[in-house]
Amino acid sequence: MRLLLAEDEKDLSRALTAVLSHSGYTVDAAFDGVEALEFLEQNDYDIIVMDIMMPRMDGIEALKRIRENGDYTPVLLLTAKAEVDDRVTGLDAGADDYLTKPFAVKELLARVKSMTRRNSGYQPTNLSFGSVTLNTEKQEATSENSISLALKETKLLEFFMLNPDKELSTERIFDHVWKNDETVTADVVWMYVSFLRSKLQSINADIEIAGEKDGCYVLKVI
Amino acid sequence: MDTVNVYGEYRDNLQSILDEIVGRIESHNDEFFKKTGDKLHEHLIARVKSEESMAEKCVRRGFEPTPYNALHELTDSIGIRIVCSFVDDVYENVRLLKSYPDIEVMIEKDYIKHAKPNGYRSYHMIIKVKTPFEDVLGNTPGEYFAEIQLRTIAMDSWASLEHKMKYKKNIPNSDLIVAELKRCADELAACDVSMQTIRNLIKEG
Repeated sequence: MRLLLAEDEKDLSRALTAVLSHSGYTVDAAFDGVEALEFLEQNDYDIIVMDIMMPRMDGIEALKRIRENGDYTPVLLLTAKAEVDDRVTGLDAGADDYLTKPFAVKELLARVKSMTRRNSGYQPTNLSFGSVTLNTEKQEATSENSISLALKETKLLEFFMLNPDKELSTERIFDHVWKNDETVTADVVWMYVSFLRSKLQSINADIEIAGEKDGCYVLKVI
Repeated sequence: MDTVNVYGEYRDNLQSILDEIVGRIESHNDEFFKKTGDKLHEHLIARVKSEESMAEKCVRRGFEPTPYNALHELTDSIGIRIVCSFVDDVYENVRLLKSYPDIEVMIEKDYIKHAKPNGYRSYHMIIKVKTPFEDVLGNTPGEYFAEIQLRTIAMDSWASLEHKMKYKKNIPNSDLIVAELKRCADELAACDVSMQTIRNLIKEG
């Protein structure tokens, strides 16, 4: 796990670097907002821990720039001020969490761990149900055979596999899988359910999508 | 020209039997086309295995290259590959072949439902055909073996590419190439399944 630390107090930076490195993170230390952005131009990080009060460019401004660049790396803000407004400003600017100084190192480590876990936890690459494994990155479903899936087939099967044995209405599926697509109507759900049914059969899956056209569908073990 | 004579006096029978089976499959296809406007298969390849290949195969399998071994121990002297447009057509052809009273299915392997680890997909059958000819056991009417492979156009194009790769075993990154070939097989299978589904959706209206 690679971590970017932006903290202008030299002693604190050194202490945090030591503790985080000891906990298995590869740490790059920046001492102001400008330097933090320079590090981000060079490398990818799993998490950014950033102080708000820094010279040259403060943490809020740096955070805004990071988000403007389309970078959604989790950010934990460190703030000396306990004012509500400051925390709200930070969260509004795109921070994922904050920690008020002074803080216990134990708590910092726990929050960093939780944030990195949450990030990868939201989108597991492999989902399993019954005999079927779905690899969302390779867009591939595997049971006895494996077969490639189109992007929307992958999203649809992922939605089913995250909600097995639950009734999902055509409307709910449409809103979830095709939420940003205004060029199609809910008819597309039936077509893609049909595609997935054939593909599940072709890999000899022991699960099926039950349900009628335009109604509710349930992914269940046969 | 064949200089080896592994089929002996049965050699000409093989071509006649092959022609007869192919004729049946073709006339079925024509009939079906007249009735529905669809073809049951796209094309087919039929061959009597050359005597050189058969003699070589006998030796490779540890048999003397005799007519008995070529026609009774080995089963692929007559070979037919039926290539279809859609997956369901493959199974329809299998059903048809099984419906002939003079054809007995000895072994069948569904590598479409159970794809080989490298991604190969095809439906294989070894059949025994009752014929008016004398067979290698001296029976008239006699029984002859034939091997039939059925697959879709997509499976067929993959298999022919993969076959070419087999001759180039020492290419660099061969593991990666094998993995990528399997991915191609899975993608082609995905297309087959999708097109079958689309055809069904059109039929259902």
